[in-house]
Amino acid sequence: MFDVGTISLILLISMFVLLAIGMPLGFASAFLAVMTLVMKFGPDLLFSNFGRGPLAVLGQAVYRQMTNYVLISVPLFIFMAALLERSGIARDMYSSLNVWLNRTRGGIAIVTSVMAVIMAAMSGIIGGEVVLLGLIALPQMLRLGYNQNLAIGTICASGSLGTMIPPSIVLIMYGLVTETSIKALFTASFLPGFMLATFFIIYIIVTTQLDPSKAPLPETDPNDPKGLDKALMFLGFLGRFGMWITGTLLVRVLFFTVTGQNTVTEGVDPIPLGMASDIMPIVVAFVICGVAAFGIAGRARTAKGWEMGKGLIAPTVVIGVVLGSIYGGITGITEAAGMGVIAVFVIGLIRREMTFEIVWDSVMRTLKSTGTIIWVTIGAAALAAAYTLVGGPNYVANLIVGTELPTMGVILIMMLIFLVMGMFMDWIGIVLLVMPVFLPIVLKLPVAELGWFGSLDPKYVGVWFGVVFCMNMQVSFLSPPFGPAAFYLKSVAPDHISLTDIFRGFFPFIGLQLLALGVLLAWPPIITIFLV
Amino acid sequence: MEAESVWLGLSRPTVLKLAKSVSAITFVVWAVMVINRMFLGGNGMYELLRPEGGLMAAAILVLTILTVVMWSIYLSDFKGTIEIEQDGVFDKVSLVLSRLAMLSVIAIEVVMLYEVISRYVFNAPTLWANELSLWIASVLFLLAGVYAMQQRSHIRIYIIYDMFPRWAKKTADTVSVLLIMIFTFCLVWGGYNEALLKFSRMEKYGTAWNPPIPATVKPLILILIILVTFQAISNLIADWNKDDSHSPEDEIDQTEIENIRKTLES
Repeated sequence: MFDVGTISLILLISMFVLLAIGMPLGFASAFLAVMTLVMKFGPDLLFSNFGRGPLAVLGQAVYRQMTNYVLISVPLFIFMAALLERSGIARDMYSSLNVWLNRTRGGIAIVTSVMAVIMAAMSGIIGGEVVLLGLIALPQMLRLGYNQNLAIGTICASGSLGTMIPPSIVLIMYGLVTETSIKALFTASFLPGFMLATFFIIYIIVTTQLDPSKAPLPETDPNDPKGLDKALMFLGFLGRFGMWITGTLLVRVLFFTVTGQNTVTEGVDPIPLGMASDIMPIVVAFVICGVAAFGIAGRARTAKGWEMGKGLIAPTVVIGVVLGSIYGGITGITEAAGMGVIAVFVIGLIRREMTFEIVWDSVMRTLKSTGTIIWVTIGAAALAAAYTLVGGPNYVANLIVGTELPTMGVILIMMLIFLVMGMFMDWIGIVLLVMPVFLPIVLKLPVAELGWFGSLDPKYVGVWFGVVFCMNMQVSFLSPPFGPAAFYLKSVAPDHISLTDIFRGFFPFIGLQLLALGVLLAWPPIITIFLV
Repeated sequence: MEAESVWLGLSRPTVLKLAKSVSAITFVVWAVMVINRMFLGGNGMYELLRPEGGLMAAAILVLTILTVVMWSIYLSDFKGTIEIEQDGVFDKVSLVLSRLAMLSVIAIEVVMLYEVISRYVFNAPTLWANELSLWIASVLFLLAGVYAMQQRSHIRIYIIYDMFPRWAKKTADTVSVLLIMIFTFCLVWGGYNEALLKFSRMEKYGTAWNPPIPATVKPLILILIILVTFQAISNLIADWNKDDSHSPEDEIDQTEIENIRKTLES
């Protein structure tokens, strides 16, 4: 009935209207999917025959999402994060990290950032992390007289890293929508994620050095070990921990060798660190760790260091299980998430913290969040299918490419759209609704003109754009007026800290996020450094 | 553990007894199958979905479903700390379904653990684990949708909505529900034949274990979206006279924060 251009315009306007009257995003998109089909085919064709016709694409789109194996990882990662929040792992990690850095200026802020990175590598969602850091670190920083803006900004900006460092639920959904390899997305986001965290830490160090009153040091504890002694203890801890890791790897490789699972076969990928030829290096590493722990640091120091640092063990194990499963080529994302849940659960059992109540509560929370995400997924899938059927994405892509705007101009406009949408909308809505339109445009732009330095391999453009999008969403967690991190922190902050104070604390950190985004845009090959 | 009853009232102990006895029977039948399988080379997971599984397989399927449903009914009698009060006419159905979904999250975990252990420790990968988790998950996603509707946990934008006067809000809500009904109607209109066809043919997934995923999930999509529509109508009626003002702070789950605080202090 109508041409694509009219349909696109009507859709855009109707979407604004429906969202304005408070209709849930998922249902608004689902209804618009119906509207798209009606506008294209006309009611006569659609409703002439009960049970068939173009309306069938709606059901098929929903079915495709429901039977998507990777989508299972979403509830599992949420489940894992829910369990993690209720275990004391985070608290112990904080005290272990703090021991090593409490004599450094700005130490607690640095510890907060480092801890956020470790937590981000364990789970892939935000919310819980900001609450945890707010409860653990904020009282400490305020008590020591840290600058309030610095404390707030550090907690919220670092706490939002959860979706920037793999595993990340944002990248999973992006990979699902655009059919990009999620493993590649994870690998690609490693460096940008760490770069952003490093920016935070450098900022903390520089501001506290320039103005020491922003981060007073704690009183010296006479029992606290000093300087070299502490360094040796840390070495002893690392050595002993290294012995455990290499020891476990040794047992694993021996197990494979005895059962004959790692015989070299043509066409079968070798097991990482699990082949017979790996035994020697592992033994050497084991011996080096042993020498460091017992030769250099000495037995007594190692024991003390172990006592001080053992809060770092549980997080390392969880990260090892999740990321190890993905990168060790052992399992896919979904199984990695499943094993992550098991790892957190078992650690909780060992720590005697898991109860039926906690598990049930976490499952309930998981279900609620999954339900929220699922509706947007269903609605957006239906809308994307209907819009693709009428040729929408292609039309928009040609329209944009035809305007002969400079390539980076188009990209920058998209960034602006993401940032503005991020102020009002959840990331999930943006990735599901906007990506099916934006990515085809990006893929049509000339690859050589992307970025100002270096050139990107054409097959990684989708991956690059995913990481860029993820960085945009980092800003959206902090940007006023609805930045979720602010509201999470508000709920745990002392009453005298107002929402305005919190947003004020964010500004330098939003600047850092935009700087990181700028680096990503200017130098796209940054994402391919670990991609082979 | 004697929490307040949501809807079962005095029949809660009876339901618990029923749930326990059904589980016991199911467990025995499962055990028989496993022993059979290990020592006599009897039926395994493959035959479970095939006619050659015979009476035993059918009994296991029916009993397993019955057990899960009984427990779901029992567990739906307890209100979770993060849940809102149920007051709509349709809420009970949604709550039972939600417990079913919650059990299925745990079921997926168990299936995955089984698969990983048998593949990496015993070097004997199963044929069925991946497809079984996919099957359970597709049902889980649909049920989660019903639950999200009952708990009103949708992504909505309230900036303009909250500026409306009360009557305009009511109109907007009614329009929303009407539009949901139109979507459901069209979804069923377009998908009815395909769903019926796949179900009547018991269409399989086309893999080694070959579970009837299309045959079950396609009709389930239609059924559950109809249930969601009922739930939406029920919500509209239940919330008609409630005062609703929103702020982004509502998104924050106070119970969760309280729980985390407790964990940190212990």
